[in-house]
Parts: sequence; C-alpha cells; structure tokens
Amino acid sequence: MPEIVAGLLWIALGGALGGPARYFVSGLVGRRFGETFPWGTMAANVTGCLLMGALAATVSFNGMALSSPGWQIAGIGFLGSYTTVSSFSRETLALARDGQSAGAGWNIVLSFGLCLAAVALGYAAANGILS
Amino acid sequence: MQIPKQATLLRIFVGEDDRHDGRPLYEAIVMKAREAGLAGATAWRGGMGFGHSSRLRTMKIMRLSEDLPVIIEIVDARDKIDAFLPALEAMMTGGLVTLDTVEVLRYGKDAD
Repeated sequence: MPEIVAGLLWIALGGALGGPARYFVSGLVGRRFGETFPWGTMAANVTGCLLMGALAATVSFNGMALSSPGWQIAGIGFLGSYTTVSSFSRETLALARDGQSAGAGWNIVLSFGLCLAAVALGYAAANGILS
Repeated sequence: MQIPKQATLLRIFVGEDDRHDGRPLYEAIVMKAREAGLAGATAWRGGMGFGHSSRLRTMKIMRLSEDLPVIIEIVDARDKIDAFLPALEAMMTGGLVTLDTVEVLRYGKDAD
C-alpha cells in the first residue's frame, strides 16, 4: 500500500510540473505563431513526444523498472500532463466546426506525423548517446 | 418606461476577466445599469478580438481563449445615458466605451 501511495505522489509531482510547463510553451508558441492555427498545442505535443522517446530509451538502457520514481515523475506525471490529446481534439473540432476542414486535416496529419517522428528521434538520439 | 424614438446606444467593450469588487465587470455594469433604472442592457461574449494590448483572444485556440471580449449594449434616452456615464467611468479601468445615435422602432411588449 505505501508503494502505491508513494507512486501516486511522484505522479502528482510530475503532473503538477507538466501542466504549467505546457501552459507556458503553448502560450509562447501560440502567441507568436498560432493565433489562428493550434501550433501551440502541437509544439507541446511534439516536444513531449521527443522527451518521451528519450526517456523510454534511457529507462530501457538502464533496465529501470516502470515502477521507479523517475519514470513515475517524468513519464507518467510530467509528460502525461505536458502533452494533451484533449486540447488537440478540441482544437481540431473547432477548426472543423468553422468549416476549415483542410486546417483540421492538417492538424491531425501534422500532429500524428510529427509526434511519431519526434518519439522515434528522441529514442534514437538517447540510445545513440547512451550506448 | 418609454425610450424616445431618437435614442442613444451605449456600447462598452471589456474583457471577460475584468473584475469590479470581486465580480465580473460586465455583470457589475449590467447590475449598475438596472439600479440606475435604464431601459435595458445586454452583455454578450465575442468569439475573437483584440484591444489596446493587441493580444489576440480567440475561442478556437484553447490557450488564447482566456479573457474573451464581452460587449455590453444599453439603449436609452441621451440624458439617461449621460447620467449613467460617471458611475460607469468609476468602474472602468480600461476597455472602450462608444456612443451611437440610434432610432428605436420598438421597446417592450406594449410598444405600439
């Protein structure tokens, strides 16, 4: 039982840091480039995926357990609240509802494409550095 | 209550997050207008806009959907609007206030 409580506390700690970090990044990028297209959310998701790839490689290289505090803070807590599928979905819906189906389509294609590329790149980069 | 045919439209642009004495400013303005016995007031939220700061606010982007524009419109006789302006001025810390001359076609259910 105490292990579960400790795990939840680590996740809560990571989550408490990830949400504000996303708020900062999506605000910075959104104000500069994304006033009519959700670049801010995409920037948070793509950078989060890059970090997730690097983290996954690090965890697997070090043979860390997925119940380790490091993974709970960074992988589940921080990246869990830093990245956002719900904002992505809501903004895609907003584009579609405004009749901007090309924009909605591009948001889906770019988000998935760039996120998958970022997680692979993060994994490969961290693996290359560690081994 | 009647509104003269030639009336004045008072339009007040504020932000959703603007506050007055701990309550939303738009709400405080509408309540104050009713207290002042004005003919009516309507507050509505804008979906997109920018003001003095040039910061864009839009419903479409979650992160930029804070502090959306709110417009309060009040139509009444010019003298009643003029009498309300000092009270309004005391509540405003920013925003935009405009006056228009409008022609009233109908007011209330017994307008005819």
